[in-house]
Amino acid sequence: MSERKTGVYLCSGCGIGEAVAMDELETVAVKEFKAPHCAQHAMLCGEEGVETIRADLAEGKVNQLVIGACSPRVMTDRFQFDNAQVIRANLRELVSWSHAPGDEDTQAAAADYVRMAITQASKTTAPEPWIEGEYSQRIMVVGGGSTGLMAAREAAEAGHEVLLVERSDRLGGHARGYAKVIPHRPPYRDPQPNDIEALIAAVENDPLITVKTNCHVTKTSGMPGKFQVELANGAGPSNETVGAIVVATGWRPYDPSKLGHLGYGVSPDVVTNVELEKILAAGQPKRPSNGQAPKAVAFIQCAGSRDPDHLPYCSSVCCASSIKQALQLVEADPECSTYIVYDELRTPGVAEEFYRSAQAKGVIFLKGKVKSVGANLTVVVDDALIGEEVPLEGLDMVVLATGMVPNTTIPDLPYENSEYAAAQLQADINPLSPIPVAGYQGEAPAPLPRPADNPPPGAPILNLQYRQGPHIPMLADGFSDSHYICFPYETRRTGIYTCGPVRRPMDMGEAAEDAAGAVMKAVQVVRNAAKGASVHPRSGDLSFPRIGYNTCTKCRRCTVECPFGAIDEDEKEYPVVNPTRCRRCGTCMGACPVRTISFDNYSVEMISSMIKAVEVPDEFEEKPRVLILACENDAYPALDMAGINRHTYSPHVRVIPVRCLGSVSLVWISTALESGYDGIVLMGCKPGDDYQCHFVKGSAMAKERMGKIADTLKSMALETERVAQMEVSIAESHKIGPMIDDYMATIDRIGLSPLKGF
Amino acid sequence: MTATSPTPRKKYDLNFARWVYENVDGGDRMAKCMQCGTCSGSCPIGDQMDYGPRKLFMMIRAGMKEAVLTSNTIWNCVSCYNCVVRCPRQVPVTYILHDLAALAVKEGYAEAKTADNARFAKAFWWSAQKWGRTDERLVTMKYYFSTGIGDGIKKGMANQKIAMAMVKTKRMHLTMPHKVKGTKELQAILAKAHEIEERGNNGQ
Amino acid sequence: MSKKYTFYPGCSSQGSAAHLDRSLRAVLPKLEVQIEDIDDWNCCGASVGHIEGGFIPQSALSARNLAQAQTQGPQDVMTPCAACYLNTHATNERIRNDEGFKGKLNEALAVAGKSYDGSLHVRHACEVLVTDVGMDKVAAQVVNPLAGLKVAGYVGCQTVRPFANTDRGNHFDEYDRPKFLDDFTRAVGAEALDFENATSCCGGSVSVMSPDKTLHLMKKILDEAQAKEADVISTPCPLCQTNVEMYQQQINQKYGTNFNIPVVFYSQLMAVAYGMDPNKDAALNQQIIPADKLKGMAK
Repeated sequence: MSERKTGVYLCSGCGIGEAVAMDELETVAVKEFKAPHCAQHAMLCGEEGVETIRADLAEGKVNQLVIGACSPRVMTDRFQFDNAQVIRANLRELVSWSHAPGDEDTQAAAADYVRMAITQASKTTAPEPWIEGEYSQRIMVVGGGSTGLMAAREAAEAGHEVLLVERSDRLGGHARGYAKVIPHRPPYRDPQPNDIEALIAAVENDPLITVKTNCHVTKTSGMPGKFQVELANGAGPSNETVGAIVVATGWRPYDPSKLGHLGYGVSPDVVTNVELEKILAAGQPKRPSNGQAPKAVAFIQCAGSRDPDHLPYCSSVCCASSIKQALQLVEADPECSTYIVYDELRTPGVAEEFYRSAQAKGVIFLKGKVKSVGANLTVVVDDALIGEEVPLEGLDMVVLATGMVPNTTIPDLPYENSEYAAAQLQADINPLSPIPVAGYQGEAPAPLPRPADNPPPGAPILNLQYRQGPHIPMLADGFSDSHYICFPYETRRTGIYTCGPVRRPMDMGEAAEDAAGAVMKAVQVVRNAAKGASVHPRSGDLSFPRIGYNTCTKCRRCTVECPFGAIDEDEKEYPVVNPTRCRRCGTCMGACPVRTISFDNYSVEMISSMIKAVEVPDEFEEKPRVLILACENDAYPALDMAGINRHTYSPHVRVIPVRCLGSVSLVWISTALESGYDGIVLMGCKPGDDYQCHFVKGSAMAKERMGKIADTLKSMALETERVAQMEVSIAESHKIGPMIDDYMATIDRIGLSPLKGF
Repeated sequence: MTATSPTPRKKYDLNFARWVYENVDGGDRMAKCMQCGTCSGSCPIGDQMDYGPRKLFMMIRAGMKEAVLTSNTIWNCVSCYNCVVRCPRQVPVTYILHDLAALAVKEGYAEAKTADNARFAKAFWWSAQKWGRTDERLVTMKYYFSTGIGDGIKKGMANQKIAMAMVKTKRMHLTMPHKVKGTKELQAILAKAHEIEERGNNGQ
Repeated sequence: MSKKYTFYPGCSSQGSAAHLDRSLRAVLPKLEVQIEDIDDWNCCGASVGHIEGGFIPQSALSARNLAQAQTQGPQDVMTPCAACYLNTHATNERIRNDEGFKGKLNEALAVAGKSYDGSLHVRHACEVLVTDVGMDKVAAQVVNPLAGLKVAGYVGCQTVRPFANTDRGNHFDEYDRPKFLDDFTRAVGAEALDFENATSCCGGSVSVMSPDKTLHLMKKILDEAQAKEADVISTPCPLCQTNVEMYQQQINQKYGTNFNIPVVFYSQLMAVAYGMDPNKDAALNQQIIPADKLKGMAK
């Protein structure tokens, strides 16, 4: 960049001009900061205002812009200019809409936001994207069941080449054996014909799709746009390059041999729902024992599900699948009596319509616990609806509705034991240890053995050659981890998207939608990767972490703590960033003890300078200053919303948006304390098992790190309350005011910081 | 309503339930009952019933015919229709209870001592059929004496004050019953209707 | 402009609810509502007829009335009685939606040379007043506003359940918190109390046969009316009026209470507010518990 000429533009519209003295703000820019150009406007976002800025840029008067107006989250299209970086000072939502107009404290806040913005401008450059070599637009789909087939077709329809890898000898998965399926088309009342054969044919005939059967992935390295995949099939290994990976490895049934208490094994006429599918697919239903048509069949729901001794979770589809099977039996023989014994019937969404239809057709639903299943097939139910123990006698068959186990590993493809992978899985699935966090004051963790040396039991699906391990991170129940509410298909490995029952239990209709969703993400990542741009939530961001190797101490905090496993280690154990795996959260930057990781437009120094730019009143003024480091994903929008709703709170706070609480460097805390701030608040998303963090582990990491600084504060004879972490979701703007004011009361109680004026 | 309903041999023998689904007014919708209990919770008199409607419906599925038809549930219904308008599955609960009461009468389960209402219904229908209108005094008297002369006098005495007040305010009369002109015609219609009813659904 | 209806008074009009009949017939002309009784109407079967008679015979009762009404013209059938409304309406609706049912009833009617094609509409008198006449017109006739009279509006069950939505597509009112009755109260210048038990059941016909089972239901209604210092309870339903009024003495005996609250029909309030004769028109002399305060307001 040539010589930096920062123009400061101050807008007095939307009540800003009534709340603060604009001339005093101009004085800050011109006198304090010697800004080469400063202008005021009554409505900067209007055509005339924007034109003024464009003219100044064209004249070469300015080449970088500080705009003191509304929140950086709004009017982004108006304040976007070619070849000029824009820095925003939020004078509207954070100042004039949330503090008393004409008050000296309001004025002081506005002046500080101008100071921070001008300071930020001096410490940032427009990001240069990382673009290197070739990028593949091809999407690999792992798993050729109904989910994988849908994914392949969706990707091909979006114009992408597809590599479909299936372990067995043919496509179709479980679905191939179903005569009929749970309805996912209106009117949702009857078992629906299975279209799997047509789907298989469509995939096999699609010129954009290459199908490989009898094939599995033995190794995956690289990054989005540049994944290197090693495949094995009978013919030996082969290598492929793909841009993104959709994992649709599906499910397997829970092992029924563990269900002896429900009669499995006492009679050939006690079968699982999976076994009944085969019977139904074979034509007219027959009892396994004697080949006769069944006249009375009981389904036992939650067979091994929602049971702490078996599968602790609900598989969500077994209720609808039993309804489907009961209706198939009734269809085959209207005289057949069918009983569905349930504890709680779960028919979410339109499946409720299916349930109603089954009731209308005479399927009997009994609520109660099964006490025993006898060899003569008498099922004794503690019937909760008529309040007595009931023997269901004269049954011909008993069907156990077993649940789904996700294929997040390949159990029948044993891998040699690896403590490393086991450790990864342990860390992944234990909600109490979200990630191995390096204590700031403690020792860095020892390097773990490389996955290639020590693979885990049960092969990982992709066998990722990542520093953080070969598996796609999973939850305690074995399903792959994702941001359940906001970004369901995102795993914690960028460019790799899980869908279908490997992500959560679901039926084919849901899995088809899931496949489409995951493919859309895969399409986005291959396209963005080629432009050096991030995917969500910082979609389009061109910055990426740059590591200053001259000062790097190889402490490995960044490689261990990255929520997305974006950073590997080279043979000398230096961190190596894989830029297209990076989501730009800055957790590595927050982790780095030597401050050697930074982004072009986001750095430890930039925020530290902004913190120092605030004028902290001396101890005699008796006006506290509290720094709020607010997560830009939820907390900062919530602060904006508080302003929009005109909720007022203490004018003594100064807010700096951060990419994620995970990016907060402890240096900022010490800088703020040294500068005489009286308190520091980290405001961000809920961490933990049911996290809200957009970067999955960022806020958990911040909490972990903040837990460690209490000791530091004590050693400095400071109160631990001076640093606080607050959880706020985007919908909780009404809590902002009370939260801040409560904290100000705390500061009032413990008194002003003793470090002022040092 | 067709001939006699079948009697189940064991629990959850569905022959009675299926008969009810087909023959009782509203029975087809009863199949859709999901046992939420909104009906029982809405019933003003549920605490005086042997079983709430929710449980009664499940007992029908469970084949507990005798318990269902001898229960006081079908007689204690006050016809407030709260259950009907609140049922999330649009089961016409009141209508079903009414029809089950009719079934109980028809199949001889209503002779149980508790079925005051069966006797009242008898008296009521007597008036409607004989005169074409409900003569409140005659219906009440007939009802009072339906369990015997002594009981009738006792009940009549208990309500004597009310009756006197009604007479005094000209809301009850002591003269000839009100009746329609076309009693013969009405009785012919009702006789035919009865014949059609006996024919059942299959005789359509 | 006056509008004509075929009127079905119901059995109670000749007995326990004679005062509803009298007062309604007194006020309707003021509202330009013309009525003509169904010729030789018969009982609707109420909520017990089907038990002894059976479902089709019970329905045949309503069918005969409708067949007769049809010969008197295509105008809507109007009835002031909740049970008559429910039964006639239910049968009518079923005739319209179920050809088999319609066939059966016409087969029965045929023995008397009658038939009914399902073309009439059955409406409750209150619904007609709310929808066709309108509250403004009801209020406009008031010459003697009942200022200071506290009225507990007790709607009961069958006036709004299950047919709060009429077959004319008019949305009459709500099932649980209907407001039309309070609108009548306010229209006549009285004070409508916020009455939570407005749609609590009085026990209906069960109260007639076995009051022991249902006295507590009526007590609940009376408790609230007393606590809120109601001068009168107003109701549109014949059986509610009779039950709640005539059982007060028995309730007092059983529970040691001292209820003596007059229960009147909305139409009696209207007659008094319209300046009509308290006995001849408003039929207040037919109260078992005299409505003295209301009577005192009469001109």
